[in-house]
Amino acid sequence: MAEDKKMFSPALIKGFVTVFIIVIISELIGINSFSVGIATVTLLPMLFAVILGILVTPSILGKVITPLKNLVDEDVVEFAAPMVMITLLPLGVKYGTLVGPNVVKIIQAGPAFILQEFGNVATIFVALPIALLLGLKREAVGASVSICREVTLGIMGDKYGIDSPEGTGTLGTYLVGTVLGTIFFGLLGSFSLATGLHPLALAMASGMGSGSMMTAASSSLAASVDPALSDTVLAYAATSNMLTGVTGLYVVLFISIPLVNKLYDILEPKIGRPAVKAKEGGKDNG
Amino acid sequence: MGDLKMSKVLEQLKLLILTGIVILIGQQIGFGRDIVASIPGMVVVVIISQLALIIKAMLPNVKLPTFAYATIIPFLLSMPFMPTADWILSITGQVEFLGTTTPILAFAGISVGNKIGILKKLSWRIVIVAFAAFVGTFFGSAIIAQIVLSIQGII
Repeated sequence: MAEDKKMFSPALIKGFVTVFIIVIISELIGINSFSVGIATVTLLPMLFAVILGILVTPSILGKVITPLKNLVDEDVVEFAAPMVMITLLPLGVKYGTLVGPNVVKIIQAGPAFILQEFGNVATIFVALPIALLLGLKREAVGASVSICREVTLGIMGDKYGIDSPEGTGTLGTYLVGTVLGTIFFGLLGSFSLATGLHPLALAMASGMGSGSMMTAASSSLAASVDPALSDTVLAYAATSNMLTGVTGLYVVLFISIPLVNKLYDILEPKIGRPAVKAKEGGKDNG
Repeated sequence: MGDLKMSKVLEQLKLLILTGIVILIGQQIGFGRDIVASIPGMVVVVIISQLALIIKAMLPNVKLPTFAYATIIPFLLSMPFMPTADWILSITGQVEFLGTTTPILAFAGISVGNKIGILKKLSWRIVIVAFAAFVGTFFGSAIIAQIVLSIQGII
């Protein structure tokens, strides 16, 4: 990038101005809680921030509002991607200060931390039957093997090729997670308390190998529980997320991929539907 | 040793300082935290973040994300038996946890802006399957954690 020679490139200035405005609006809206049936949903400023962020991009509101397109242009979108990694670091520091004081509690809960990692395999039993009932074929294998963050994308791309039906499915889940994951988990985090599962169990579940999804799930969970418990919730989630970062690769490689293929062979003849092209579903949207 | 260029460090520091300013103003609005009183805490947070980036650059063969280093440093400093624990907890306490999350998600939202088109091309079926995958992972782990934590008598 040529403009790097300048102290502040146009993309940097526009990017920070945009984020600054989004943060101010999101913080002004603040934390909102409301009841939906038996569940209480907590909407955090971060949730408004991600939605506003998506909305102001050239492909959504920028399309119709010209001044906005001039502020948030393609360069800003490009600038934003590596900025996610940079802005995650202060959060990482805060997580460290939450885990440190809780280190004894976390070691005591060690067996639970390790065993719940196998819970990630459960995605196959939930997502694969649904995928088959919806008429997906081998895409179903890729889409339901895991929540498909970067590690899975790498393994599946390596094993099947990213252009294969399996790769398309994995990429699909990856993209849905990238665009909608934080919103989905931000809602699920507080909503999940209505199941009666203990906040600490839900906190462990929030660590799935994605920093932003973990943050969305655990923060809304922490905001909804007894304040005395919220630091432990965040500490458990961060620890579980780190653990998934280490174990995730091996679980996907040695358990999830063989299992999803086995289950596909069993279930596909029973509940599979006539094939639909996964990539050309656009016409079904209308 | 990986390559560690001063110009790159300064570039990162600039971005971290700007991020720090956005967080300081955000937490003033959202949590009523005084901007000036929170500056020392933010300086410590920015320094640790920068250290994490430097360690990452110096250890290119270690496959840990920078985020992990940013977490490990304050983790070690804040363990109960560490002499630094009280200091690090009180100074980083000036920075609100939730305040740090808002700019991340703002950037994350902007960065996926150009992927909306690809998402539209995907079948709605994949979107449903992806949500099923998220729910499956989340509750699969939660149920196992619930059982093991109960057996251990922790909950």
